[in-house]
Order: sequence, then C-alpha cells, then structure tokens
Amino acid sequence: MSAEEPRAAEEIALLTVEVQGERDVVLARQRARQVAELLGFDRQDQARVATAVSEITRNAWEYAGGGRVTFLQAGGALRVRVADDGPGIPHLQDVLDGQYASPTGAGRGIIGARRLVDRTRFDTAPGRGLTVELEKDLPAPTAAPDPAAVAAGLTRRAPAGSPLEEVQHQNQELLRVLDALNTHQAELDQLNRELSDTNRGVLALYAELDEKATELQRASETKSRFLSHMSHEFRTPLHSILGLARLLLDRADGPLTPEQEKQVLFIHRSASALAETVNDLLDTAKIEAGKLTVHAQPFTAAEMFRSLRGVFRPLLVADPVTGVAPVDLVFEDAAAALLPPLHTDEGKVIQILRNLISNALKFTERGEVRVGAVLAEGEDTLRFAVRDTGLGIAPEDRTRIFEEFVQVEGPDPQRRARGTGLGLPLSRRLARLLGGDIAVESEEGVGSTFTLTLPRVYTPPPSSGSGGSDAGLR
Amino acid sequence: MERIPILKMGEFLLVTIQVDMHDRLALQLQDDLTNRISQTGAKGVLIDISALDIVDSFIGRMLANISLMSRVLDAATVVVGMQPAVAITLVELGLTLPGIRTALNVEKGMELLRAYAAGVASGGGDGGANVGADGEGADGGPVR
Repeated sequence: MSAEEPRAAEEIALLTVEVQGERDVVLARQRARQVAELLGFDRQDQARVATAVSEITRNAWEYAGGGRVTFLQAGGALRVRVADDGPGIPHLQDVLDGQYASPTGAGRGIIGARRLVDRTRFDTAPGRGLTVELEKDLPAPTAAPDPAAVAAGLTRRAPAGSPLEEVQHQNQELLRVLDALNTHQAELDQLNRELSDTNRGVLALYAELDEKATELQRASETKSRFLSHMSHEFRTPLHSILGLARLLLDRADGPLTPEQEKQVLFIHRSASALAETVNDLLDTAKIEAGKLTVHAQPFTAAEMFRSLRGVFRPLLVADPVTGVAPVDLVFEDAAAALLPPLHTDEGKVIQILRNLISNALKFTERGEVRVGAVLAEGEDTLRFAVRDTGLGIAPEDRTRIFEEFVQVEGPDPQRRARGTGLGLPLSRRLARLLGGDIAVESEEGVGSTFTLTLPRVYTPPPSSGSGGSDAGLR
Repeated sequence: MERIPILKMGEFLLVTIQVDMHDRLALQLQDDLTNRISQTGAKGVLIDISALDIVDSFIGRMLANISLMSRVLDAATVVVGMQPAVAITLVELGLTLPGIRTALNVEKGMELLRAYAAGVASGGGDGGANVGADGEGADGGPVR
C-alpha cells in the first residue's frame, strides 16, 4: 500500500465500467472524457484524464484480464478507481521510479498517467490484484456540479460502443439459454423414453383388454342365443300342457270329479306361470340381443287401466271366512282419464305395469295396491306409480332387486309365489327400451312405491334405424 | 471484422482515423498499412488523426511504429490534424514519438509528402524532413 494523499471523506459514485474486453478500454476512456467534461474540466484536462484512464485500464486488461473502472466525485476532485483481480505488481516501487522496463516494451503507462493527474494511489499485494486511484482536482471545486446531474448526463450519453457490447451480452445470454434448453431437451428425451416404454405397456394391456372384451361379447352372445333357443323349446311343450289342461277343464274328454278338476286347475295354473317365466326369459334374451322392437301406437292410460283391471280381477282371492279380499287393487281412473294420449308400445307398458302390480300384490298381505298416473315435466313425460302397503324393501336391497335372478326373501316363504327374479330387471330393461326408467321408494313395514317414468311419445334412438312400428315380436 | 480504410491517392496512401481505436484495431491498421505500402510501392503515408480526442501511449507507439516501418519500406509518414490537447497530453505522458513527421492539416501534410518524394527522386537521401509545423510542440488553433 502506498498512499500519496489521505483519502477524502465522502465519495459519490458516478459510473462504473466493467472491463471484460479490449473494447471496454476504449469505452472506459470515452466515459472518462465525458465525466471530465460534465465535471467542468476544459478540453485539455479532459484529454489528460481520458488518457490516464486509458493507460491504467489497458494495464488492468493486459495484466489482469479485466477489472472495473469506477468514476467517483470525492470532495473537490474527480476520483477514478481502476480495480482488478490480477496478480498485482510485485515491483511497484521500481515501476514508479521508472526503473522497471516492461518486457512488452510498453509499461510506461503508470508513470505517464501519474503525470497527467494530480494524485495517484496504488494498492496492491501479490495475488490480491491491483487498485489504482487517479485523482484530479475539479477546476471549480466550490461550484462542483450536482453528482446526480452528472450521472444523469452520463446516462444520456450512452456509450457509442454499446451496440456491440449489447450484442455480446445478448450472445452470452443466448448461450446460457441454449445451455438450459439443452438440459431441458435431455430431460424431455428421458421423459419421452419413459413415456414410450409406458406406452408400449399400455398398448399391450389394451390388446389384452380387447381380447377379453371379444371373449366376453362372444360369451354373452352365446348365452343370449342359448336363452332364446331354450325358451322357444320350452314354449312348445308348455303350450301343449296348457292346451290339454284346458281341454280337460272344458270336459272335452268327459266329466271330472271335483278333486280332478282342482288338480287339473293346479296343472293349468302352474303351466301358465311357467309360460310367463319363459316369456320373460325370452324377452330378456331378445333385449340383450337387441332384437326386441318397439311398435308405438296411440292409446290412453284409462284404456290401459281397464285392461289391467281385467287381467288382475281373477287373482284377487276373497278370504274364505270374511268373503272380502284382504288386498284392494285400486286404479285411479278419474285422474287417468284427464291425461293426454300416449304414443308408445302399449304392450310393453302393460307388461311393465303388470309386473309391478303382481309384485306389489305378492308382497302385500293386507291393505291396498294403488295404481296411478300423472303428467310430469312439461307434459312430455308420464309417471305411473304402483303404491302398496306391503313389507317394504330394505335399503340395501333396493338396487339388488333390479339385478337378474335376484329375489328378496319374504317373511313367509310358504306363501310366496316362486318367481325367477326376472320380473323387475326385465321391466326396467323394457322401460329403458321405451326411453324411460323405473325407480323405487320404500319404507320397511309401511310400503313401497315403484314409479315408471315414460316419455309420452316414443322416439327411437338415433343410432339404430329400426325400433320401427311393425314387426310385432311378442 | 472492422478495419480502418486505407485510400490510395496517386503514389500516396491516405488513412483517416474516424473512430476511437481499440488496441487490436490499431495493430490491424499497422499490418494493413505495411502490406499496402509493399503492394503499391507507395512513397508516402498520410494519417489524419483530427477526429481523435485521445491518443494514449499505445496509439502513440503504434503511430511511431508505422512511421518507422514505412521508412524501412521507403515511404514517408506524416501524421496530420493532431488536436492541441492531444499533443500536450502526449508530451506530458512522456512519449517522444521518434521519427514521426507531423503537419497541421491534410494540405500541408500532402505538401510535405510531395517534397519528400521529390527529394528522394532527386537523390537527396534523407531530405524533406520537418517542413510542416511540428505538431508535438504546436499549440496553434484547433485543426478540424
């Protein structure tokens, strides 16, 4: 450390120039000249300051590979501090004394620069870089310009060399971005590889799934075909039984004893039940095979209730003791008469309602089963309700009852008619075929309500061209 | 690659330095100029530095080198238009610039070169030295 003058108390930085290339030496001396000009130095002193800065900055560039030039306003003087991180000057005093001859043949910069300014200060140690401070007294220290104004003036005079610097800067930026991009690219490649591996796995799984799906479909088709064949095969002998029983009951083959009549009646009734079940099975199979067609026609709810009443009247058995049927079947004809006509498949609606009603009767020991119909949702939908005062259905069973071959156990199995468990599922399938659905509400011990919701006018689904009005299939 | 242009005017080369040269550009000019002298057999080089606000030791040395080299190649060099502030600074810097001929402006510089060429042609050896004003000492008005 060699200080020629004590350091002034306060200093205000005006500008800093980073020296990272040869051109920055030029920039530093140009800026030095501007600073000197703004601080009021005359042309001669401007040249002196700029030349001194040029010498010292070139040293920093040549010997230290770069550095930093800071212009400061310190009291009544301009102070230029050139700091570098180079090897420092091991023989500073020799240089200052003019004893040292630089191997590059130049090396007189420091001495020359010292002559151009009022004060210099050197701070160096081997390996710690070199800091040179050049100080020149302001021409009018009392009227020193406002540092902020000087700084602003410097900003206005943006260096002429800046486009190149800017380009270099942007280049470095670009290189950094490119580097980052490369890293991203590598990551992406890695991800892509992983993804394509996963993809291959997924494809294999898909192939397997496809295979399974085809198998399932084939199995389902086989089942449907089997069902429909079997049902057909069942129907022929069943019809023989029914016909022969009817013949016997009509006394076509001579009189029957009362006991015989009772037995033949049982045969007939059982065969009818069986025929019903077989028909249900057949319908299920047909729906599954997509072979059941809807033939819509206009009819009214009131007409339909009338025929349903006719179907169920014989089934309401009067109690032998009281002579009164324990369960009342009530159709709300008055309300039904007010409804607009429907245009859908009457047979299937009757089939559904028959199913619901016979179910309700099956599970109701006393009280009534009430069948009603109301308009809902903008006159385009009808809602049929079959309300009973029976056992009710436990909540956990309410969805199960719509599954095929599921039957809910009643409390008294002896009394229960044996069904196939096909009735409700088939009804729901039929309802959906017509664009509607069946829902159930129930309270255990109080009763259940099955609701059939149905569009008033059947519209065939857009995908299938069939669903037409003819080709009766029942 | 930026370069300082070198113009050929008859048997002389004319260099006008319009920009603040960084060191490599100065060295480049030194190379280009010596090449052009040997290619064209020019008898003189006129370097106009009137646009330079600052001539530090490096550029000063470069000018001196050009001068010396061109003399070896049998061409005279005249540096013209040096600003007074620059001249004073150079002296204060301790740069003596040996062998550089200077002139106040281009016109005087050309005269100097012609005189030198004529001197050479007439077998006058090393004649035609400092005819113009010696810029290093001059503190005449600005020459721009």
